[in-house]
Amino acid sequence: MTQDRESSGLQGIVLRERARLLRFLIARGAGDEAEDVVQDLLQRLGSAPAQPVAEPVSYVFRAAENLMRDRHRSNLSRARRQQHWFESGDSDADAPLGERVLIARERLRQAETVLAGLGHRVELVFRRCRLEGVSQPAVARELGISLSSVEKDLQKAYRALSELKAKYDAE
Amino acid sequence: MNMNDSEALAEAARLWAIRVQDPAFQDWDGFTRWLEADARHLAAYEKAAEDAAWADATLATPQPAPPAAEPVRRPWKRLSVAAFGALAASVALVGSLTMLRPDPLQQIGTAPGEHRTVALADGSTITLNGGTRIRFDPKSPRTVTLDRGEALFHVEHDEARPFLVVASGARLLDVGTVFNVVAEGKAMQVAVAEGAVVFEPGPKQIRLDPGQTLALSEPGATPVVGKVDARSIGGWQEGRLQYENARLADVARDLSRNIGRPIHPSGRAEHMRFSGTLMVKGTPEQVLTRAAPLLGVKFTPQGEAWTMTPANAMSK
Repeated sequence: MTQDRESSGLQGIVLRERARLLRFLIARGAGDEAEDVVQDLLQRLGSAPAQPVAEPVSYVFRAAENLMRDRHRSNLSRARRQQHWFESGDSDADAPLGERVLIARERLRQAETVLAGLGHRVELVFRRCRLEGVSQPAVARELGISLSSVEKDLQKAYRALSELKAKYDAE
Repeated sequence: MNMNDSEALAEAARLWAIRVQDPAFQDWDGFTRWLEADARHLAAYEKAAEDAAWADATLATPQPAPPAAEPVRRPWKRLSVAAFGALAASVALVGSLTMLRPDPLQQIGTAPGEHRTVALADGSTITLNGGTRIRFDPKSPRTVTLDRGEALFHVEHDEARPFLVVASGARLLDVGTVFNVVAEGKAMQVAVAEGAVVFEPGPKQIRLDPGQTLALSEPGATPVVGKVDARSIGGWQEGRLQYENARLADVARDLSRNIGRPIHPSGRAEHMRFSGTLMVKGTPEQVLTRAAPLLGVKFTPQGEAWTMTPANAMSK
């Protein structure tokens, strides 16, 4: 099957928006590797013909953001693995399974308590947006509130949950 | 920086993390300018994004279901979390309660078109594509059977406790971290994104490294090893399906799983091939309208299902 008719839509956008993307990637912490990230992005978007995407420019930026997160994550896990190599026998993962199950259950329970303590609407907004993947404007419409109220509710939820995480990290 | 400044910074970063993670977000230039405005913004944003990811993952952890003998204490089940109950029960039941359950195997499934991530207590996660069912014994949650469908495994590797996936009768032993498995009828396909997987550990074992796939048409058949772009594996999570010379029969199967409607390839459509990327976001109609010209086919609705036929010669 031939696909030349529709070649390289999203890749075309990467090339067209290169300057904007590079500026974003540098600000986003890619530094000297910003060009490499653009290359990765081109590969990720596939050698395939592009497909109509609702907001192609936004789509490409989102892909770039995800790529930065992946890089960050894989750097972290590499660092953790190396650390683990030196300090083996001393991490959470070495705790017996039963104990880890209890810890996970307890953390979930505490996180739910924190969320419930912020009021019904905050909890509902958080669950709709973050656990069920509904977009923020859609949740705002559903609940008949402004987008900025949705953002504020999410901010409240994440602030309280960050405090909980900080507590665990300190333990 | 005094306390108020750092709080204000954390708050601003949190707001950007919330905006950026929204699927409808578009203000990338505004985000760039904010990151550029102050050297501290990037670190604050990364912390906010990491905290948010932690919060999402913690709350998406399977909720322990009460043992059958006890009354339900909390009305938590109204939301999607309820669906995690089965796994949670199994994880929670590692221990003496296990004997109370008549069925030793726990099942978790998704409806067509639905995605679900299941977090195991050891830090591993399993992301289920639509129309998928997994099963495992709560006494050994690191052995998982994929009954049907597709799942992406992120395994916390542990030398002492290997992670084993059974799909269409084949055994896959995790030697690393991230791999995707499809079980469809008697056929099975595994693709390794990171680390390595051993197919059928034993004298005839085959080790698969990142970017390698192995397909089996039925149990006992000769395994076929192939190659794939390791970065494309699990792309279905973001609504992206990537192919390299794939049969349209397989593409149709993946599309059905993602849009939640059966797709029946007819005539020679089944044997046509496709290389490229498909997006599976939006309504089934939108997905198929976008995919049709790329695949060189026509989709015709038939009740809940769609038939896929080769487009006529003019479209070439």
